[in-house]
Amino acid sequence: MATPNRTIAAADDRSIPPPSPMIEMSPVTDATTGRPADEEAAATDEAGSPVRQELTDAQRQARFEAEVLPHLDRLYSAALRYTRDPTDAEDLVQESMTKAFRSFHQYRPGTNLKAWLYRILHTTYISMYRKAQRRPQEALQDEIDDFSFYEEVARPGTGSAERAVLEQLTDDEVKQALAELPESFRLAVYYADVEGFAYKEIAEIMETPVGTVMSRLHRGRKALQKALAEYARSRGLVDADTPEGPDGTTPTTEEQP
Amino acid sequence: MTDDQMGNCGSDCEDALERLEAFLDGELPQDDLGDIEQHLADCYPCTDRASFEEQLRAIVRRGCTDQAPPALLERIRTHLGDASVS
Repeated sequence: MATPNRTIAAADDRSIPPPSPMIEMSPVTDATTGRPADEEAAATDEAGSPVRQELTDAQRQARFEAEVLPHLDRLYSAALRYTRDPTDAEDLVQESMTKAFRSFHQYRPGTNLKAWLYRILHTTYISMYRKAQRRPQEALQDEIDDFSFYEEVARPGTGSAERAVLEQLTDDEVKQALAELPESFRLAVYYADVEGFAYKEIAEIMETPVGTVMSRLHRGRKALQKALAEYARSRGLVDADTPEGPDGTTPTTEEQP
Repeated sequence: MTDDQMGNCGSDCEDALERLEAFLDGELPQDDLGDIEQHLADCYPCTDRASFEEQLRAIVRRGCTDQAPPALLERIRTHLGDASVS
């Protein structure tokens, strides 16, 4: 029977979260062959390749290096969003990789490897950093819901001015604006906009209900837009005298000629 | 573009803008796709808004692609070797 064992007891490290069987998500077919992933795994087994649990240490390490390490840049990028410090980000990735390697036999081929890895990154971050901080989760002000970069920058007759402004923002400004968002909003935006995860996947990685992800994403994007608009204004890319309504929006639509 | 095209131009637009975020995230149910796609094809201001929102996602994506330091990769490899042996 080729189905990998999903009920393996935890390895030597008790702090490892359960093998997250809930992160068995979307990619049901193998992108290169188009065949169902399980069929692919079965075919491999018939070809004489050992099933995962029977791999030697060297084989297991080789597979890990081949399948996981290509994601290292992305994991490091994510770790930077978590820690906002390059040294801490390296430590977080290294610890996460160690945990992932120890639990690698629990990973089911054909399931979502990326989501599995980010889930480990997330739980590792919580055990390494957030527990120590014991800081209450930061929130966003209610008025953020009313902010819109688009409405702030769009002007009658200026066409795509708002897009020209976005174009001039630097990567560093974008990074900084994201870094300034409260953690849960920052991570939701990162996972959706940079990693392209579905709401459901983000919910599983961050262990929150899908509705919470949607709300954090919506408000996080608004807050990000507000921060970017402030950068744009401070650099003179946007008219500093922009009239603002009481809710922070610009009443451009009422200015009829 | 005329002034009245700059913002809320009717209840169709309100519906479309309401669902724009989920649409761009690929999270709208299949049954709802036709309406918003049709509206975006017909309504310039909403299309403009959609492409702005897409560009915003694109600059976040572009700004947050970092490369792991080569030394980190080496450290991890070494560590894996140790973990295998132990």
